Amino acid sequence: MKRKLWLIFGPVVCACVLVFGTLLMPLHFGKPAPKKLAAAAVSLNQDVLLGGTIKNHAVGADYVPFIDSSELSRMDPFHPSVLAAKYGGYKTLLLGGPGTQSLTQFVDNQSMFKRLRNRKIVFIISPQWFTPGGQRRDAFAYYYSPMQLTSWLLGKRGGAADRYAARRILQMGNTSGTVRQGLLSVAAGQKLPQWQRHLLKAHLQILHNEDGLFSRFASVSKNATRISKAEKKLPASATDAQLDKLAGKMGAHASRGNDFGISDKFFDSRLRGKKIVRLQGSQASFDYRRSPEYSDFQLLLRNFAQNNITVQFVIPPVNAKWAAYTGLRDDMLTQTVSKIKHQLSAQGFNHVLDMSRDGKKASYMEDTIHLGWRGWVDVDKTVRPFIKQKQATPHYHISNYYLTRSWQQHVGE
Amino acid sequence: MPSMQPYANPRYFVILIAALLPVIIGLLRGRRHRNYESFVALIFIIAMFGGDKWQQGVALIAYVIWQLLLVVCYGKYRQTKNAGPIYYTVLLASIAPLAIVKLTPVFSPQPSLIGFLGISYLTFKSVQTVMELRDGTIKQIDPLFFLRFLLFLPTISSGPIDRYRRFAKDYNGVPKQDEYLEMLRKGVRYLFQGFAYKFIIGYVFGTLMLPRVAHMALMQRSAMGGTGISWALVAYMYVYSMYLFFDFAGYSLFALSISQFCGINTPVNFNQPFKAKNIKDFWNRWHMSLSFWFRDFVFMRVTFMIMKKRWFKNRVRVSQLAYLINFLVMGFWHGVTWYYIVYGLFHAGAIIINDYWLRYKKGKSLPSNRWTGALAIFVTFNVVCFSFLIFSGFLNTLWFTHAIR
Repeated sequence: MKRKLWLIFGPVVCACVLVFGTLLMPLHFGKPAPKKLAAAAVSLNQDVLLGGTIKNHAVGADYVPFIDSSELSRMDPFHPSVLAAKYGGYKTLLLGGPGTQSLTQFVDNQSMFKRLRNRKIVFIISPQWFTPGGQRRDAFAYYYSPMQLTSWLLGKRGGAADRYAARRILQMGNTSGTVRQGLLSVAAGQKLPQWQRHLLKAHLQILHNEDGLFSRFASVSKNATRISKAEKKLPASATDAQLDKLAGKMGAHASRGNDFGISDKFFDSRLRGKKIVRLQGSQASFDYRRSPEYSDFQLLLRNFAQNNITVQFVIPPVNAKWAAYTGLRDDMLTQTVSKIKHQLSAQGFNHVLDMSRDGKKASYMEDTIHLGWRGWVDVDKTVRPFIKQKQATPHYHISNYYLTRSWQQHVGE
Repeated sequence: MPSMQPYANPRYFVILIAALLPVIIGLLRGRRHRNYESFVALIFIIAMFGGDKWQQGVALIAYVIWQLLLVVCYGKYRQTKNAGPIYYTVLLASIAPLAIVKLTPVFSPQPSLIGFLGISYLTFKSVQTVMELRDGTIKQIDPLFFLRFLLFLPTISSGPIDRYRRFAKDYNGVPKQDEYLEMLRKGVRYLFQGFAYKFIIGYVFGTLMLPRVAHMALMQRSAMGGTGISWALVAYMYVYSMYLFFDFAGYSLFALSISQFCGINTPVNFNQPFKAKNIKDFWNRWHMSLSFWFRDFVFMRVTFMIMKKRWFKNRVRVSQLAYLINFLVMGFWHGVTWYYIVYGLFHAGAIIINDYWLRYKKGKSLPSNRWTGALAIFVTFNVVCFSFLIFSGFLNTLWFTHAIR
């Protein structure tokens, strides 16, 4: 009987030992080819954001991370990645996608922030993130990286910020099992039991290996080709003023079919006809001044300060004609932006490019809330010197007041 | 407590097989630990309907009590008497919960409160028991055994549908050691075939490809004069058909596998259905436990009744009407929507045409070789895939819902 049992279950046992043995071993994977890395860095793929391998290699190769939500997917010839490749002499690592907000970026970039010690990044912060509900749950679940969250849980945890972060992630409602147990411990201000740490470590090892194994099969995006094609549309050398003029020309041409100065491609597919009629006055009640997002954003700021990262913040505008059409309140937007700026400057984040008053400039926005053409040129005017020149060592003084409900609900004059 | 859905992920299998280990060891030693097995089943059922699914759990308990009462009382009654109206009343009472659950979506946007995952499959079992009590093929009902039959864990949520007497034969005996070792071997085979089907091939078709072809087809709503018929729709048809097969066949294989570990020969559900040479052959290969159930308890009964009441003299007409009723009932069972009902009618039509063809062919010496066989398989396959396109409900989305922004 034993022999027969072995004939039946032996192969299963061997297969399990082989698979789990391999996945649990601390495997090392070689570097991705430079060309592949370059393509992945601008791909804006979800697996790049959630993973670790590509990001870590990119940071190791001196790529500059650009963090955003969907801004960076607007790839016209003046997109930061194009200008960086053409004139800047630096490489961009684009991280974000529609629906990524502070909490998602906080969780997904845990392994990367540690490697960015004393380095620089660019952060595009949209006022549109600061809705009364904050981070959308479905988007959080879509961009959820168990690997990154596990590595966060295994770090040294304690204190108000970690408790707040754990509580917020639990509120997203998509975690389960040991990770959820760990979050509950951190939220309660307790240490993780030893057995939980062991389980999490084993799980993390499996996730690391999976990331290392499968990131080489990551789907390729067309962005790299789009960028190199866009580069060819630019002159070999140009002053900022020349670029601005060219951008104005291209923008005017690409948006000539509608009254909003929105790219015709976007307008025709998303707005033309009945769709736009329904949107008239639809944003009159939008309010970005009170939101848990302010505290989620604080988690990121705290991470930047801990790792002494110098951050160039960019606050993009809303297309002014669009805002007028949808009834988005200007005073509300002004107060939102000044609240964000206050949270930054009060804690020592001094590199802030506030473009929020520029929404009425021609050829500035590619669509309703996303920068394009001349807007990108303006971004580049600030970002390029920020990256190329040496910046003073930042002095941050982080306050936990920004994690409180009273700050979330605070509205200035 | 989060609920634990059957066969949803690898962890479920590890926990389930670990829990069943005493049963497996017992069977290897020639003993069946019935009470322990029932205990494991109970725990897993609680886990299935735990957490936010507790309402379904309550519905399940009420449902089981209801069916148990019906079957036990009718069993007692049937020992001495056999009146038609009583039988039909019991039968209707047994079908009633499922009928209510299936009809509720027609009248209300909220799903029925008495519904739960697996209600269909439990209903097949209890209806069959009532019918066989009437036939006299089941003589006596042991309430505890009926519960074990009804709530047999491996098949509780989606079949295959076992029969009372067949199950009793397995369950009341113990396989010989050689036989059981062979069952274990099959169990492992089914399990891994199921993994390949559901988690790899089904995943490729269902998760990777299906959303893409669906999107492509929806982008071409206005194709062919507004009918939405496009190459993408054709691609959707095949991708969906493959997904449906591999997902469901994989699921059935899991149920078979765990049944084998429990020493029960649950009937198989699929036998290479896409190799069928005609529609009749197809229904002998596709979701077999369901189609055989319908054959025995709908088609045969309807045929018998029509003959008895002499509605038709012509035997061909009798079977045509029986097919129509059979597949209509099956359509309604899938759900009361136009596409499930059309799916039923479509198959009834296909099988009736198939019958005409077989009768026409009988007296003639038509060529029959490898190529005609291949042609038959090709035609059948495409007819079936088209029926699955109807079944998928995608045409409903394509034609009757508004474009999503």
